[in-house]
Amino acid sequence: MSQWRNILFLWIFLWLLSGCGAHRAKRDLIVLLPDPDGKTGVLTVTTRGGSQILDKPGYGIVVEDLNQPPRASQPMDEKEIPDVFGPALSTLPDPASRFTLAILYFEHDTTKLTHESKDLLAEILRTIKRRQSNEVYVVGHTDLVGKEAYNTGLSQRRANYVRDLLVSSGIKPNTLFVSYYGKARPLVPTRDEVPEPRNRRVEVIVR
Amino acid sequence: MFLALASICFLLPLNGEATFANTTPIVATVQKVNGMATVIRQGQAISAKIGLELYQNDTLLTGRDGSIGVVFNDETLLSLGPESLLVIDEFVFAPREGKFSIAVRMVKGTVAYLSGLITKLAPESTHFRTPTSSIGIRGTKFVAKVEGE
Repeated sequence: MSQWRNILFLWIFLWLLSGCGAHRAKRDLIVLLPDPDGKTGVLTVTTRGGSQILDKPGYGIVVEDLNQPPRASQPMDEKEIPDVFGPALSTLPDPASRFTLAILYFEHDTTKLTHESKDLLAEILRTIKRRQSNEVYVVGHTDLVGKEAYNTGLSQRRANYVRDLLVSSGIKPNTLFVSYYGKARPLVPTRDEVPEPRNRRVEVIVR
Repeated sequence: MFLALASICFLLPLNGEATFANTTPIVATVQKVNGMATVIRQGQAISAKIGLELYQNDTLLTGRDGSIGVVFNDETLLSLGPESLLVIDEFVFAPREGKFSIAVRMVKGTVAYLSGLITKLAPESTHFRTPTSSIGIRGTKFVAKVEGE
């Protein structure tokens, strides 16, 4: 008899425990939207239980419990986004005042700009002068072919090359901020030693 | 939850606003406000107005009809819908020294987020947390809803 009573208590205890747990469970919702320029980035949602990647615009991920992995992404009901997020979205400041990003590409293992990028450089110069920007970031990168130290040096030479071009075209050196990352931040992720022209680049960000 | 937060804040020593502003860099500016929106700074509630400057460790709070939109120094855009609470845990934007970090914590409500330069220049330095999860961001716009307690 007392054994049954113990089991009953245990059962009630567990029921309360799980009941309380469920009551306290939070339900978070994360929805990816297209950027103002029409592109879409990538979100990684991570709980103690695992991660999910969100890379399609208009898709959402629900997190029920921090100890469980997030649920796989699902397309959102079209009405749900304005219903739930309308006030937040309409209060988001205007992105028109933001920076412009241009990417200059280089020939393999050189500081020689590709033909298309030479034209783009003229465009970048016009943007800097028109905005009278005093904050221009010049960020050098390489693809994943070769050793890390060598690529760090190559990305630095590429960034400095672009900086020098801008300075010789009349941009004040103290408005230019150079940084470089070698092979650490590919635009197009590849395996090591894979040649990828889109990763041989200098990003110029004009504010 | 709000009472707890408010009482904790009031227990903290209060510094004069002027000294505070002189030693701490401004990290963001309020650009839009609707209805009731408040900034809690070192235990003091400041009514949010357009142009109000924000600092690291500020908490943004909106009322039932409130919403607020802010622009960070790296051009990250962030807005909260009604009945929301968000803490700016950390913000460092120092391109000259190569130091980048943004860490915000959504406690409850709805938020819209458009990532800025920090996420572009140093994606691993962006930390967006909710009570259940952390969100890694690679150059993008998203919205999130957090139920809170």
